[in-house]
Amino acid sequence: MFQQMNIQQNFPEYNIPGKQHHDFSPYESNGGSIVAIAGKGYAIIAADTRLSSGYSIHTRKQKKTFKLTDTTVLGSTGCWCDTLSLTSLLAYRMQSYVHTHQKTMSTNAIAQLISVMMYNKRFFPYYVSNVLAGLDEEGNGVVYSYDPIGHCEKTTYRAGGTAGALLQPVLDNQIGYKNQNLAEKPEITKEKAISIATDTFISASERDIYTGDSVVICIITKDGIEEKTVQLRKD
Amino acid sequence: MQAELARELPPAGFNFENCKRNEALINGGFLAPKTVKTGTTIAGIIFKDGVILGADTRATEGPIVSDKNCSKIHYLAPNMYCCGAGTAADTEMTTDLVSSQLALHRLNTGREVPVVCATTLLKQKLFRYQGNISAALVLGGVDLTGPTIYSIAPHGSVDKLPYTSMGSGSLAAMSVFESRYKPDMTEEEAKKLVRDAIAGGVFNDLGSGSNIDLCVIRKNKTVDYLRNYEIANRKGERTLDYSFLKGTTIVTGTKTFNLDITETVIPMEVA
Amino acid sequence: MVHDIADSWMDAAVSTGTTIMAVEFDGGVVIGADSRTSIGTYVANRVTDKLTRITDKIYCCRSGSAADTQAIADIVSYSLYYHENQTNEEPLVSEAASEFRNYCYNYRDSLLAGIIVAGWDKKLGGQVYSVPLGGMLIRQPYTIGGSGSSFIYAFAQENFRKGMTRDECVEFVKKAVHHAMYFDGSSGGVCRIGVITETGIDRDIFFATESKASKDQGN
Repeated sequence: MFQQMNIQQNFPEYNIPGKQHHDFSPYESNGGSIVAIAGKGYAIIAADTRLSSGYSIHTRKQKKTFKLTDTTVLGSTGCWCDTLSLTSLLAYRMQSYVHTHQKTMSTNAIAQLISVMMYNKRFFPYYVSNVLAGLDEEGNGVVYSYDPIGHCEKTTYRAGGTAGALLQPVLDNQIGYKNQNLAEKPEITKEKAISIATDTFISASERDIYTGDSVVICIITKDGIEEKTVQLRKD
Repeated sequence: MQAELARELPPAGFNFENCKRNEALINGGFLAPKTVKTGTTIAGIIFKDGVILGADTRATEGPIVSDKNCSKIHYLAPNMYCCGAGTAADTEMTTDLVSSQLALHRLNTGREVPVVCATTLLKQKLFRYQGNISAALVLGGVDLTGPTIYSIAPHGSVDKLPYTSMGSGSLAAMSVFESRYKPDMTEEEAKKLVRDAIAGGVFNDLGSGSNIDLCVIRKNKTVDYLRNYEIANRKGERTLDYSFLKGTTIVTGTKTFNLDITETVIPMEVA
Repeated sequence: MVHDIADSWMDAAVSTGTTIMAVEFDGGVVIGADSRTSIGTYVANRVTDKLTRITDKIYCCRSGSAADTQAIADIVSYSLYYHENQTNEEPLVSEAASEFRNYCYNYRDSLLAGIIVAGWDKKLGGQVYSVPLGGMLIRQPYTIGGSGSSFIYAFAQENFRKGMTRDECVEFVKKAVHHAMYFDGSSGGVCRIGVITETGIDRDIFFATESKASKDQGN
C-alpha cells in the first residue's frame, strides 16, 4: 500500500504532445456599446448593431435596444445569450404586472424590477451591461444604469458596453459640462443629444473593434418612440 | 574617457536581466502592459511578371485600435519585401535586422541576394527563439530563379507556395485565393485578387481593418510600393463642432520665472 | 478570455499531422508522404513537400513539428554536404541516419520530430532508417510514420512481402498512403512518391481519387 503511493508520487509528469485542455466557460463577450441621454421631455438611447465574438462578426444587423413600453427602452450588451434570457424573462414579468395591476409599468418600476431580477442571480450573474432610458411620471427623461449583479443608479446620461470606458468621459465633458469653465451651461436639447450620441458612436467605431456597422437611436418623447439609423465603419 | 564611454554600451542581442523581477511582479498581481499586435491580414501571390504582396493597416492593443494606418509591408532588399503579422515590435525588428544582413551580404558578394537567403536568415532566427519572437511573415521577391513567395511561421517553419496568406484574417484572404487564383495572371488581375483577399480580412476579421497596402515586385526588378492603394474605410463625419471656446480651461494661478541664460563657447579641437 | 481565442493562430505550432512511409527494394528505396500541413484544424499548406532532400541520393520524410524537422534537415544536409566535399565521397545513408538520431536524441526534450531517413549508397544499396520521437535509430525493410500511420499498421504488415519489385513497392506505398489519408483527418492532399536508386530520385504525384476504402464505406 505504502509502496504503491510512493510509485505514484515519484512518477514523472509526461507532456503528451497534442493534448489540449479546455475549461468550460458559460460566458462570452459579444461586444457592442450603448449611450443614453435624458433631458427635459425626452430621453434617447443608442446602441450599435454589431454582434461579434473573438475576431469574427456574427451579424452586422443586431438591434440591442428593446422597447419595453411606449415610454421605456432597455439597451443591453455583453453576453448576448444572457441578454436574450433576461429580456424574455423581463417581458414575462411585465405582462404578469399588467394582469395583476391593470396598468402598464412605469419607467422607475421597470428599473426596480430589472435590479431585482439581476440580483436574483447574484452568484451566477447575467453577464450584461444594461442601460434603461425612458420618461418618468412627469414626462421628463431619465436614465438608469446597472452593474451585472443588479446595482442600479439613476442618472441623466450614461455610456455602457465595450466602448463604455471610451465614451463616458466624452459625455461627462459634453453633457455634464465637466472640466469646462463656462459662464452658462445650457440644457441639452433633444437635437443636440441625438447629435452627440451619433458622434460618439462615429468616434467609438474608430478605436473599438467591437463597435461598428451601424447605430440605432431610439428617441423617446410623449408622442412615442422614434427610431433613427446611422451607418458606421464596417471594418 | 574612452573606457568610461565603452562601459555604457550594452552587449549586443536581447537583454534578459529583468525577467526574474518581472515574473515576481506578475506573481504579485501586477498586470503586464499590453504589446502592440498586428492581428493582421497579409497575403502574397505570384503572377505572370512577378509577385504582389498585400496587407491591411490596423494595429491593435487588445480590443483597442492603436494605429489606424500602420505599414506592414517591410523593405528587405531592392528585390524583396516582407509582410509581417504578430507582435509589431517583433516583425519590425526582425525584418530590419535581416534587411541589414542582406545589405552586407550584397556588398560582400557584389551580387543581388537570392530570396532563399532572406528566408534562411529569417527562419534560423525565428527557430532559435522557439516561437518567442511572434512574427508570422509573408516574404515575396524576385531573383535569378524567378518570382517566389514564402510564408514563415513564428516557430521557424517555411512554406514555398504560389499564393499564401497569414495573420488573423488569413482564412478570409485564403478563401478568396482558393476560389479565384490561377497561374500566370496579368498584373491588373493579380492586383484585384490581392485587393479582394485583403478586403476579405478587413471587413470580416475584427483584428484587421482600415486601408489596403500593395507592393508589386516585377521580374524586370521594378517595384511599385502602393501605400494606401485603397482607402477601404473612411472616418464618419461628425455632426457637431467640438472645438472649445477660449478660456474653457480654468487657470488657477500664474507664476513667472526669470531665466538667466549664460553660454561660453569652447572651440572644438581639430587635429 | 476572448482575446486568447482570437490570438490562438499565433501560438499554435505549425505541425505536419502526417502520413509518411518508406520501403526498401533491390536497388533502391521508395518513399511516400501525404501533403497536408496544419495549424490546429486549419490546413496551412495543402501541397507540402515532406520528402526533403538531404543529398542527391538520401532523402528524409518529415513528421511532427514543421519548424523542428525543417531545422534538423537543414543542419544535416549542410553537414553531409561539407563531408562530401572534404572526403570526395558520397555519404552513406547510415551516416545521415545516425546524424539525425544524434540531434533527435540529444534534443529529445525540446523537439517534436519523427523522421524516416531513406536513400541509396554503394555500400548497402537501398536502405530505410526510422528515427521516431524519442531519438531511437533502427533499420527496417519498410517503415511507416506520422499520425496517419496508426491506420495502416495492419495493412502494411499484411501486404508487405520480401523482395518486391520497384513497381510493386510504388503500388504498396501509394495504396497505404491513400488509405491513411482517407482515415486520418490530419493527413490529406496528394500522395507524393519518390524512388531513389543509384541514379538519383524519380518523383511522382498521385491525386487522392476514390480509394478502395472509400468505396467500401459507400462514398
